[in-house]
Amino acid sequence: MLLDYERLGWLRVALVGFTAAVAAFLLLPVVFIVLLSFGSSRWLAFPPPGWTLKWYEQLFADPTWIDAALTSARIAAMAAILAVVIGLFASFALVRGEFRGRQLLRGLLLTPMVLPVVVFAIAIYAFFLRIGLAGTTIGFVIAHTILALPFAIIPITAALEGFDKSIEDAAIVCGASPLQARLKITLPSIRIGIFSAAIFAFLASWDEVVVAIFMASPTLQTLPVKIWGSLRADLSPVVAAASSLLVGLTLCLMIVTALLRRKLSR
Amino acid sequence: MTQPFLSIRAVRKTFGAFVAVHDVTIDVPKGEFLTFLGPSGSGKSTTLYAIAGFQDPSSGDVLLEEKSLLSVPSHKRNIGMVFQRYTLFPHLSVAENVAFPLRVRRRPDAEVKRKVADMLALVRLENFADRYPGALSGGQQQRVALARALAYDPPILLMDEPLSALDKKLRQEIQAEIRRIHRETGVTILYVTHDQEEALHLSDRIALFKEGRIEQIGTGEDLYLRPASEFVAGFIGNSNFLPAEHLETAASAATVRLADGSILTGLKATRPFDKGQKVRLMVRPEALSLTPGPASVALAVDIVDTAFFGDRRRVVARTAGGDEIDVRPTSDAAEPADPSASGQRIFFDPASAFLFPA
Repeated sequence: MLLDYERLGWLRVALVGFTAAVAAFLLLPVVFIVLLSFGSSRWLAFPPPGWTLKWYEQLFADPTWIDAALTSARIAAMAAILAVVIGLFASFALVRGEFRGRQLLRGLLLTPMVLPVVVFAIAIYAFFLRIGLAGTTIGFVIAHTILALPFAIIPITAALEGFDKSIEDAAIVCGASPLQARLKITLPSIRIGIFSAAIFAFLASWDEVVVAIFMASPTLQTLPVKIWGSLRADLSPVVAAASSLLVGLTLCLMIVTALLRRKLSR
Repeated sequence: MTQPFLSIRAVRKTFGAFVAVHDVTIDVPKGEFLTFLGPSGSGKSTTLYAIAGFQDPSSGDVLLEEKSLLSVPSHKRNIGMVFQRYTLFPHLSVAENVAFPLRVRRRPDAEVKRKVADMLALVRLENFADRYPGALSGGQQQRVALARALAYDPPILLMDEPLSALDKKLRQEIQAEIRRIHRETGVTILYVTHDQEEALHLSDRIALFKEGRIEQIGTGEDLYLRPASEFVAGFIGNSNFLPAEHLETAASAATVRLADGSILTGLKATRPFDKGQKVRLMVRPEALSLTPGPASVALAVDIVDTAFFGDRRRVVARTAGGDEIDVRPTSDAAEPADPSASGQRIFFDPASAFLFPA
């Protein structure tokens, strides 16, 4: 290859340096937040004068934080389930269907990913105000399902495209009805894609803040909304602790995904 | 004749203006191994899919024991099928794959277990029951697919180029396995391939497809020794074709003039020809020899090349008209003393040569 890493010569040093700088730029803020959450300074001074767990104690002692975390998890789980179910049907249509406007439909279903979130947030907020869904869990879940849908559709369509339809045909010749063949053969065969879809959809809702701010009410707050609100009210290291937990859970989910993918794709 | 077991009646399949299958009619007796042979796009797979139920024919009918299959959905036809691609269920073990058709039929556990063991023994993969498809070679996967397709004792087994993804040596091994399994189970097999050697090796009868029609149907010997057309002669085995002009036919022995002006007589005409009609003379490479036989006619040629192939030699000769002829004498036959000398002759029995319309 023309751009073979082995043949880059001194450019290799520059490439490694540049990559490291980009990685640091992306990761350092996260590292700082995590470090500050353990720091004893009330004012988030860096480097921290000492180390403590008291911000975490305060976090877990405050029911509004726990409540927000549970709300986030609940909404993300519901949005993920809905997005995967709808994503499955949509993916079958997009991959197997032969109808006019198929590409158009694919584009439409993926727009939430490219549409400016704030535009979407205002639009759906105005709509939900009118039909009385603003500030309700149902409204929240619907809004997040729409945002999560592209993250479900992309891995499922990819898995379905990589699945040889002859295998499904073989199951049908073996005596399985088309529905049985899909449930017993096709779905298990694309389970890695479905699993990835569930994780991505969950995360898309879990750390979403813009739409969540519009959807939230005083009694219905997700963790990112609570963090946002606390940041504006008083800059306490508790926020850093909450953020660290958010990052931690996301990281855990990504690791679990990677491990399961490896296990499933033997 | 008794009623045929499987009857394909005037099956026709069109895709828009394109006719993929033209009114194909075949009767298949029970237990026969029938191969659909032909180049790609000749309609052989489409005909098979019509029997499997993946594609409804545009017209015509498929009858199994006198009952039409067409109104029966694929999963209720009770037909076995092995596909060209590997179609084992990737998340199920070998034993679970073979058990699948029995499980969807809700057979009792004991029967499923016994049948799976029988089938894996049939394809000689008893020790692979707990493996997953990803851990099997291509040949093993197709044998499991065969076991799965036979597990529910289907009356007909369809095989759609099942060996085309395998290398040649493995292909021959599995062909032998398929022959043995056909012998042991007595199942009626419809087999699709574009490989004429495979067709000759496996089949009781071969239906040779060309452009959606059956060009000839018969045993391998029929197609090889008595080809109905130039296409059949060219597709099955090796053939030499020489342009010629028909002079006359008397008592079914035809006389022609070759491009170099030489006259050959005693040839087999596949149909009546007019005087002066352009024809093509076909003779198999192994029917040609470098030494005259009792009833042979001769062709004047130059020897271009000779090579040794173990059981046979290959001699490439060229006529004065510039046509190359492939000669395959057995390797113990006498060689020309000086191949490069001019005025060489090759010989064949005119009864082994055929005339086709040009």
